Amino acid sequence: MPRKVVKSKYFFEHDFIETVGEVSTLKFPDWGKNDTLKYVGKPVSRSDGYDKVSGTAVYTFDVSLPRMAHAKILGSSVPNARIKKIDIERAKALTGVVAIYTHENCPQKKWFYDTTFLFDPHVRCEGDEVAVVVAETEKIAEQAICLINVEYQEEKFVTTSSQALNDNTPKVHDFGNILRGKPDVNSRGNVEEGFKQSDIIFEDTFTTQIVVHNMTEVMCSVVNWEGNKLTVWDSTQGVFSVRDAVARSLGIPESNVRVIKKYMGGGFGAKLEAGKYTVIAALMSQEIGRPIKITLDRKQMNLIAGNRPDSIQKYKAGLKKDGTLFAFTLEAKAAVGAYPDGGNCSGPFRGIYKCANLSSTEYNVLINAGRSRAFRAPGHVQGTFGLESFMDELAEKVGLDPLEFRLKNYSDVDPNSGRPYTSKFLKEAYQKGADAIGWYTKRKAPGSDQGYLKHGIGMATQIWGGSGGPPAYAILKLNRDGSAILLVGSQDLGTGTYTYPAQITAEVLEIPIGKIQVTLGDTDVVPYGPGSGGSTTTASISPAVRDAAEQMKNKLISGAAAILELPEEQLYYKEGVVQSKSVPEKKATIREIMQKMRETVLVTTGARNANPSGYAINSFGAQFAEVEVNTETGKVRVIKVVAAHDIGRVLNPKTMNNQFHGGIMQGLGFALMEERILDDATGKVLNTNLHTYKVPTIKDVPEIEIIIVSDGDNLISNTGVKGMGEPAIVPTAGAIANAVYNAIGVRIKSLPITPDKILNALYVNKS
Amino acid sequence: MNKFNYIQPKTMNETSNLLKKNSESAIAFAGGTDVLGLIKNSILLPKDVVNLKSLKGLAEIKYVPGREMQIGALVTLAEIADHPVIKEKFTVLAQAAHDVASPQFRNVATLGGNICQRPRCMYFRKESVHCLRKGGDICYAYNGFNKYHCIIGGGPCYIVHPSDTAVALLALNAKVSIYSQGKTRIIPIKDFFVLPDVDFKKENILTAGEIVEKIIIPEQPAGSRSGYVKFMEREVWDFAIVSVAAVLNKSQNKINNVKLAFGGVAPIPWNSNDIDSAFKGIDSSEESLKKVSDNLFSKADILEMNAYKIPLVRNLTKRLLMNL
Repeated sequence: MPRKVVKSKYFFEHDFIETVGEVSTLKFPDWGKNDTLKYVGKPVSRSDGYDKVSGTAVYTFDVSLPRMAHAKILGSSVPNARIKKIDIERAKALTGVVAIYTHENCPQKKWFYDTTFLFDPHVRCEGDEVAVVVAETEKIAEQAICLINVEYQEEKFVTTSSQALNDNTPKVHDFGNILRGKPDVNSRGNVEEGFKQSDIIFEDTFTTQIVVHNMTEVMCSVVNWEGNKLTVWDSTQGVFSVRDAVARSLGIPESNVRVIKKYMGGGFGAKLEAGKYTVIAALMSQEIGRPIKITLDRKQMNLIAGNRPDSIQKYKAGLKKDGTLFAFTLEAKAAVGAYPDGGNCSGPFRGIYKCANLSSTEYNVLINAGRSRAFRAPGHVQGTFGLESFMDELAEKVGLDPLEFRLKNYSDVDPNSGRPYTSKFLKEAYQKGADAIGWYTKRKAPGSDQGYLKHGIGMATQIWGGSGGPPAYAILKLNRDGSAILLVGSQDLGTGTYTYPAQITAEVLEIPIGKIQVTLGDTDVVPYGPGSGGSTTTASISPAVRDAAEQMKNKLISGAAAILELPEEQLYYKEGVVQSKSVPEKKATIREIMQKMRETVLVTTGARNANPSGYAINSFGAQFAEVEVNTETGKVRVIKVVAAHDIGRVLNPKTMNNQFHGGIMQGLGFALMEERILDDATGKVLNTNLHTYKVPTIKDVPEIEIIIVSDGDNLISNTGVKGMGEPAIVPTAGAIANAVYNAIGVRIKSLPITPDKILNALYVNKS
Repeated sequence: MNKFNYIQPKTMNETSNLLKKNSESAIAFAGGTDVLGLIKNSILLPKDVVNLKSLKGLAEIKYVPGREMQIGALVTLAEIADHPVIKEKFTVLAQAAHDVASPQFRNVATLGGNICQRPRCMYFRKESVHCLRKGGDICYAYNGFNKYHCIIGGGPCYIVHPSDTAVALLALNAKVSIYSQGKTRIIPIKDFFVLPDVDFKKENILTAGEIVEKIIIPEQPAGSRSGYVKFMEREVWDFAIVSVAAVLNKSQNKINNVKLAFGGVAPIPWNSNDIDSAFKGIDSSEESLKKVSDNLFSKADILEMNAYKIPLVRNLTKRLLMNL
């Protein structure tokens, strides 16, 4: 199998990653458009659908082993303190308690980029791990937690990024409250000169709130030692990242750790990295000689399991009279919580529009609250709301329709690198989305609707990195009966990763999908593949799967050539049979070929190809929202969202629709209702359950129309996929916010757009 | 969650005695939709959880035409929302019951429990915050996150009463029948609730050993129409930000009489004769209703984040009366 090692660059979560990885150099004929294919691009039902709908699916949360003990975490009740004393005597005395770990008896293991420990005597946010109790049952562990008495030496704390940047504010860490000690700056051209040469200068500020992932399945692990081999079942988006982090923390070889994840109830980015809880459970399990299940509860999920950092985005633009963007700056702050993580939101600002002179300055600021983590399109969700709200304001300033203004500043090449795109169908997305929402027929002047129910239409643009990249592998194992097993270097986040590898293999080998089984999420079994995040999974692994299947086809042809004593060029493969092009009776089936080759299982290993050099790869799209605002109550009802996107090839329209529905619902929650409420006086989070942390219910969900304007992008890979998990959520809030403005004629510049903000704007603060 | 004894008494008297004897550590348990949350979040740490559901006779709906409707304390909100006579003659109550939470909740939540709920104030519900209502020194909401707090009747605690049905019952002039150790007393629902300046640790007048056994709603005057409007931040499964209940009598376009009650504005379901009389005799056009509504709660005592409730309650009142 022809391979080489190359440098490859791709966009993952926050930024570009440069990797050196082994790639396949095999070239196969380009696939045509989806309508020329038999299995790929067809609405195949999920292979995991029955398991999930019937309740037979075993999630990590459901894993139960003989003699298994249960662990629960006691979190700090205060936002910043030194632990003076922990009294565990009463808890220890409770019948059924097996072991208790605190910073006093747990080995000091570094965590969060060496800024803290598994148990740190200095707690820096509410919920920080103080103790873990292992007991015979979960209930006993919970009761024991209540019996632990912790004496804190409380210290002053900081709850907002603005406060954290003041000189005389308490420091969350000794190194200060600004991550890396200075802002991240990106620029092109000459901004100062750009503003001088601008005709119109305008500025505005937008803010977004902290939102929490709140995926269905809480974070949990089951750990079990057999001799010196540790098996971990974890609800994770990255089995290999968990394996390596656990091995490193325990100081054991990576080969001694096996991480398994079959099904999971969502992650949205929070489960890309290994959790403290997994390592703690592994240590305790080793000590007590029993398997342990450890689960966070919903409260802990809202405190310490990650969040999308907030943002304060200050934009300033210089424009030429005709509407050309000529100078553009963004100064942003993000509160990333008590431990390092990124909150940069300038990606859309820097990446979407043509603007010669531009700079962004971004502060990632530490505060005494739960740490942020990657959350479905990190930075881009909040950044797109700010940017696209501001773009609408600018359009109005220069008297252009918002779409016209965006087209005026449309970039045909990547504005940062000047490179051409492998493909870009943003104009098509604008056009088709606009037509579907009735942009030119239904949209009225802002606030011009009569009556108290006012309708509005708004839109926002989406950009995201596309393509994924190497290394990513798939192993195909073909049996004599023509059935096959695929071991794919990935894990299913719930997005359909169990389904499309079978479609691709069926497409290449022309065998029924039902004869192909897919195995994922087991570090001892599957080859390496990246974590499931950044919309890179399908774009990374689907080409490896095709590579493996095409190699298998070639292997069968080689085998048949030897058996039939014909040159390979005279043979062709069709539906499990290799046949002579000229003498039709000369043919061999898979079974015949494998029997002669004395193979019971034929194996090929496929790899991802390198991304093309000299190109920028991005997905694009636009969402259009129609809303109705009740000006008597301030309630925004989203009537319809049209999502028009360029995401490369769609492998499966059914799972693609699922992704968009989920992304748009989550984007609607971000736009209108979700918000973590951190109390300034106590430093505590006030809403840590799913009743007070309001996610949209099914009754809040609008009609959703999805329009895909792209097909396979053959420059990227042999499957031509760009990725879509993140594109689905990126522009939703911006589109809704712009629609609200269009409805009421007043712009709400801070998310979420809750009824109180609209009523305040329309009644209370009305001058 | 702490450990507790689960007790299932068979008679009212036994129940009342149990609750009286262990007044500090016992809690009455019916549908459990509130009590379970309070216990699980360690807001209450009862030693005895006294189940009321084995008590006979508390789960009945009895209509005496021309006189009254009696609803047992254990009747579920789903039954109330679905009951044909309640829907027809006491519409406001059926609507209020229907607007509570979600179907799963309504199937188990009881009317007695609904009017006896503890407040949803996020500080009160936060285990590690020792607020005034829980015996602490200050009301954290007063200078804190008070978007959902009261605009009238507050101080020294600023909760709003969370019940939907209580607001409807207040508009209907209902009475509460309370049992205690062999005796029953019946009081107007208006007198059932307690403002924080009277006692900031409780929301109603119940004393140890007292159990709400039923609600009695007088037959409404012929020609009455009633309705409930509940404003939530999402379509379902939310407590009222503001709600309004109205029982209205009008002839043609003139309002003869209206009895209004408000939720989400005060620590108790709120009403006032002044408000009711302001609407008396006016015509029910949007213009006239707006004129009166726009003066409601003009003496409200707003906090930093809840001024929006004033236009909200005014607009909801106007729209409800327009639609009735």
